[in-house]
Amino acid sequence: MATKSGNATALTVLSPIKNGIMDDLSFADITRERCLRLPIHEKSPIARVPNTYLARLFVLDDVVYESLPGSDSVFNFSDITSFFSDTARKDALPRKDRLQSKYLVFSSNFYGDLDAYLTGVWEKWAYDDYGIQRDVRYIWEHCVAFDQVNDCSDFIGYIKKCQLDASLFFNGSTDDSLQEQLKSLYLKQEFTRFVVAHQGKSAAEIQQDFKEFVKRVQPENLNGPSWQPGQSMP
Amino acid sequence: MTQNLELTDIQGNIVKAYGAFNFTKARYLFLRIDNGDKGREFVGAVTTKVTSAVRWEKNSMPVATTNIGFTFSGLQALELPTASLMGFPEEFVMGMKGRKDILGDDGPSDPMYWDKIWQETVHIWLSINGQSIEAVDERYQWILKQIEASDGGVTLLTGHRGEKDEDNLPYQDASVLYDAEGKPTPKEHFGYTDGIGDAVFEGQTNIQARVLGRGKLTRSGHWEPLATGEFLLGHVDEAMDYPQTAPTPKLLAHNGTYMVYRKLHENVGSFNRFLDEQSKVFPGSKELLAAKFSGRWRDNGAPVVNAPDDASKAEWDKNYAAADFAGQKKMLIDFTYNDDIDGAKCPISAHIRRINPRGSLEYGVKDAYERPGALVDRRRILRRGLPYGKVKDPTRDDGNHGIIFMALNADIKRQFEFVQQQWINYANDFKEGNDKEVLLGNHDAKNPGKVVFQVEKGSGKAPHFVNNIPRLIEARGGDYFFIPSITALKMIAGGIVDPT
Repeated sequence: MATKSGNATALTVLSPIKNGIMDDLSFADITRERCLRLPIHEKSPIARVPNTYLARLFVLDDVVYESLPGSDSVFNFSDITSFFSDTARKDALPRKDRLQSKYLVFSSNFYGDLDAYLTGVWEKWAYDDYGIQRDVRYIWEHCVAFDQVNDCSDFIGYIKKCQLDASLFFNGSTDDSLQEQLKSLYLKQEFTRFVVAHQGKSAAEIQQDFKEFVKRVQPENLNGPSWQPGQSMP
Repeated sequence: MTQNLELTDIQGNIVKAYGAFNFTKARYLFLRIDNGDKGREFVGAVTTKVTSAVRWEKNSMPVATTNIGFTFSGLQALELPTASLMGFPEEFVMGMKGRKDILGDDGPSDPMYWDKIWQETVHIWLSINGQSIEAVDERYQWILKQIEASDGGVTLLTGHRGEKDEDNLPYQDASVLYDAEGKPTPKEHFGYTDGIGDAVFEGQTNIQARVLGRGKLTRSGHWEPLATGEFLLGHVDEAMDYPQTAPTPKLLAHNGTYMVYRKLHENVGSFNRFLDEQSKVFPGSKELLAAKFSGRWRDNGAPVVNAPDDASKAEWDKNYAAADFAGQKKMLIDFTYNDDIDGAKCPISAHIRRINPRGSLEYGVKDAYERPGALVDRRRILRRGLPYGKVKDPTRDDGNHGIIFMALNADIKRQFEFVQQQWINYANDFKEGNDKEVLLGNHDAKNPGKVVFQVEKGSGKAPHFVNNIPRLIEARGGDYFFIPSITALKMIAGGIVDPT
């Protein structure tokens, strides 16, 4: 499956969590709690990672798969005939499959290419966890082999090993850079306010004020007045 | 095959809007059940007076009607078997207060500000509709006697706000509003004509005359009655399925439905100020602006989609005056938004367009769905109810006046709640972002809402923005009720509901 759609990239990461416990809690439960404690909206660490359109973190407990019966012609045949032994017949029945460990799932939609984005995750991911500053390592800490991740390039390599081909794109987004999209939303909102405030005024007055308006909102300046990533209130 | 409803088994308020039969007064009572045995006996006694949906001949019309419904906790108090209770849907079990986030009951509509009665546990809803206040009172006295006779089995709850600043009335009165000459009118306190386009479903009488604009739109542009199961449990619905909200046994659910009861306060002062303020910048008359808020003109209910400006309204009025009774009815209800997809005539955020978009969610793409109203036909409700209170000072919001709104549907979540959440308080389906419906939307004082009145493409005119919309309607109470069939009422009263 394609992980690119124009300039947008879809990243799906499944990192196995170590089987085992620490202080009477499983590593999976510790990881899950850390995910649940993440601050949201403006304070979310993901809001600090440049160009994230939408991202999710959760712990996947298990995926139970039961194969379809009769998917193999030989065994299908064996299932309806009695001249094989009972063991052979049973072997042909649907198989169950389970995950060997629990997984930390990170699913993100973002602008640009993967390496640049993951560099952002490594460098910018930071949040206040009830008074203690945390970085991205805190979330992945109990994943298998994550203790070998020491720098940004290790992190990129690690994530790529855990990457899945997936194309779950967030429908509410274009493929423009996040800054571009936030600026557009800001401009749309401010322009609506401008229109409402100037309804019925003379063309000359509207033109005069529009010049002021443009000066204030600076449409070309992505770093200028805009919405903030993760902003929850207008 | 046409559906024949068992009219003697169905409660009358489901099939009939009593207001249309000259029942100008209503009184709503709420009770608590304190003892299961005695409570069931009380239900049995009231059941003898419950009004069915049977057709009234001219001389068989009663002077007063009685209907009854139960909250989930009411059914628990009546000791329905657990297996039956478990079959009720989640939203009904949670009740209206528990659904405040879905319904947008925030700020001044928050349940903490509701009438005192809603701070208590309500079990039973009892309604009396009467052709006169005397008829209502006589039936009320009869019910009081049954409560008395229940010997502590049920308690009539007090705590309704009243006209004279009381806050502890034992009932909620409602009444049509009267004009200056004392004639009853179909108006509510903002001055709009109410209750014109109620849904029509298979099995109702006199379908041919009523189905226009009120049933479901077919591909060929005709109107057909909606499936019975949209409004009555135990009947096939628009998905060709039996409603999934029915409890067991079948007889408990069959011919019953769910009712939403809401006391909606109208901020008349805010409405009048808002209308005055906005009409200063609106290119058209003040009445046209008021019509654009609702989708109908205030004086006679003319659909604004067919009378989109002052000139065309004058023309519409002329034709209306010349039409016979059936012709007038047709002019009021038989319309679509097919020639007004952008909302240049009837704004997309107008009340009646949001509540019932008719075929317009196809956005002019012919055959987008199997039927033009495929996205609408599963979201219809039957509206019942009357205004309450009097406006003493039209410049003020306070006081006790508004609408007792009741909606009947087979699936509260899919029908009433969806409309409230997605179509009134949000507009993604209408491609209008988060613009709320003008009149009923839960507009936020801190971030006042706006809506857009589009203009005809190529007209060279600018779209008109209505802004600073205040909260015009506030919830003052309500809950979700199960309205059983008369058979089910007898089973509940007899303690013989058997889900096995």
